Amino acid sequence: MRRLKRNRVGHLISKGSERVSEMTENNHVAVAEAPQSNQEQTEPIVRYRKVSKSFGDNQVLKEVDFDLYPGERVAVIGPSGSGKTTMARLLMTLEKPTSGTIEVDGRQLWHKEVKGKLVPADEKHLHEVRGDIGMVFQHFHLFPHMNILKNVSVAPIKVLGLSKEEAEERAKTMLDKVGMSDKLEAYPANLSGGQQQRVAIARALVMRPKVMLFDEPTSALDPELVGEVLDVIKEIAAEGEMAMMLITHEMSFARDVADRIVFFDEGRIIEQGRPEQIFTAPKTDRLQEFLKRFELNGSSS
Amino acid sequence: MWSWDFTFKILPQLLDTLWITISATIAAFAVAMIGGLILAFARRSTFRLLSWVTYAFIEFIRTTPPLVQLYVIFYVLPRYGLSLSPFTAGVIGLGIHYSTYLSEVYRAGIDSVPRGQWEAATALNFSPLQKWKTIILPQAIRPVVPVMGNYLIVMLKETPMLSAITLVELLGRAQIIGSNTFRYLEPITLVGLFFLVLSYSASRLVIRLEKRMNINHHGKMDAAA
Amino acid sequence: MFLRTSLYYQAFDGGVIPISVYAQIFPQLLEGAFVTIQLLILSAILGFLLSFLGGIGRLSRIDPIRWISGFFVEFLRGTSLLVQLFWLFYALPLLGIKLAPGLAGILALSLNYGAYGSEVVRGAIQSIPKGQTEAAIALNMTPRQQMWHVILPQAFRTMLPSFGNLFIELLKGTALVSLITIPDMTFEASAMRTNIEANTPEIFTLLLLMYFVIGYPLTLATRWLERRFSVGRL
Repeated sequence: MRRLKRNRVGHLISKGSERVSEMTENNHVAVAEAPQSNQEQTEPIVRYRKVSKSFGDNQVLKEVDFDLYPGERVAVIGPSGSGKTTMARLLMTLEKPTSGTIEVDGRQLWHKEVKGKLVPADEKHLHEVRGDIGMVFQHFHLFPHMNILKNVSVAPIKVLGLSKEEAEERAKTMLDKVGMSDKLEAYPANLSGGQQQRVAIARALVMRPKVMLFDEPTSALDPELVGEVLDVIKEIAAEGEMAMMLITHEMSFARDVADRIVFFDEGRIIEQGRPEQIFTAPKTDRLQEFLKRFELNGSSS
Repeated sequence: MWSWDFTFKILPQLLDTLWITISATIAAFAVAMIGGLILAFARRSTFRLLSWVTYAFIEFIRTTPPLVQLYVIFYVLPRYGLSLSPFTAGVIGLGIHYSTYLSEVYRAGIDSVPRGQWEAATALNFSPLQKWKTIILPQAIRPVVPVMGNYLIVMLKETPMLSAITLVELLGRAQIIGSNTFRYLEPITLVGLFFLVLSYSASRLVIRLEKRMNINHHGKMDAAA
Repeated sequence: MFLRTSLYYQAFDGGVIPISVYAQIFPQLLEGAFVTIQLLILSAILGFLLSFLGGIGRLSRIDPIRWISGFFVEFLRGTSLLVQLFWLFYALPLLGIKLAPGLAGILALSLNYGAYGSEVVRGAIQSIPKGQTEAAIALNMTPRQQMWHVILPQAFRTMLPSFGNLFIELLKGTALVSLITIPDMTFEASAMRTNIEANTPEIFTLLLLMYFVIGYPLTLATRWLERRFSVGRL
């Protein structure tokens, strides 16, 4: 199966990328065990290949290869500035990779194929592909001029083209799921941070993405509000329908929810594997050091 | 259509009036600076009547056209024995109009001085005059200097209005040339370009000033820390 | 109106002036007031539209659009309104384009204030946090939808007080059109001054008051908008 996958990449991209996939294999061998066997049966839904990103002289991602499988829940951990947030932002098309390719469900994200060659994608192409992706931000970014119901229903109406009734029905179902169905008429300014983040989760879910990105969803919250948001995310994770990429500093949460943990440092994936292996038997010095620092800092978020 | 010969012929005549435009701008700005400060103080006065009259004055001047105010100064005051030259009338008229704007700028600056500064000055037993002169105003004016610079540029662009009270500045000269030769295209276009160059270079200057003040300000803050 | 004869004298600045003078001046100024108000409303509407055109144009991702709108805005802001007015009225006909005075007036006013307005629009749009655009992208909105449903509704609240201020400036600016023979309030006043010179003080006093009566409600409305929208983000 893995062989097959690789062939497809090679055939899609040019010759140069053939080497990319070979290197990927090396990476996997060198760094960690392969992910769970059951997920190996299927094609990854997201595939990063040799992805680099620089801001000026600062290279935040260095030729990263990374696969995410349908329904898989991956927690991304690592020190701040390690490039983990950039990973998510590239996939959400908020930043453009400096080099490398990202595939979503078999389609190139940042490139499109013209006569067998990859050319930079235009807005139209991005629009088509990014419909599979949803994102929850650290600072929620609710629309302050819309009430809660409107916040959650505006995109289904405008982007998916649903009728107002249908969209609001869907929105209410989602708001119910995150426990916010009693605040439909409220405005974001009148909600607590935890409530705002739950609405933001509903707003992303209502678009029914295949991949959900959570970018430090509890980092901006007061400690007493973290729990309610994590509970909602756990519940969604338990449904197991979407692939999830959780960027987080909440280690115990990561251990509970994720199928796989990916440890980032200085723009590279240093180590990845099952939660029990990562947390109980980290192989690299850097991960050991990182986890130790975390125990010392305790509950810092 | 466009005659370069004519352009070069009238260029010296227009340049001759350039300094009138510039000096009218600077003089009017000086009036506005001083007038603005007076209005700002009068507005703060604890003497209610003075404060209220000042407020009404500011509101009235700001809401009515400067052109009409110039007419009042130039055509009405002589009937009460005060005849002013077009230049003086223009400088006073524009100066008074913009003093109402600058009084707001001063007010914002004064409000931005932290309370602790007032209390410290009181604690050091400064007289009210000393307090204003040495503690409050230096701190109040510094952050609003760029805003004042912008008003200087706004006033520059208002000076063509002075041609309406017969002052022969840039636009006035262009009009005279136009009515004598029946060629308006070149002189008025040139005047527009003059203003573009003047206001553009002035705005560059203000931006540079703003940057320098920021640096100085930070330097001062560091020294204080 | 019979009072005109009985209420013959009224104190004015220490002098004594027949009140009937005002009755004579007022109707003519009122005629001019209608012209002033028409100019104000038409230029405001056109200027408002130009503000959005210029402001959004300067933020365009397409380079030529950004350059052209930047050039126009800076050009119109850098040259003086009265110079622009004279240029349209005196110079443009020599290039073969003759505009009616009213049209020249409206065009100059709306272009000039539209240029200032586009800076208001640009500033307000730029003041919306980047996260709002990012959230809209994450919901897969098109650039047009991002602007229309997310950015502009929020930016518009920030713009309102500044637009109010510009509206008052525009009112004052309309007085300049009297210099290109448009019979607005100031034009009527100037015309009367040459006819009945003795009454110059009354003419201009009444003129100032009339501008104040039109303008002050605008000032108050602007203050109200400022208070309303600075209290909190809703």
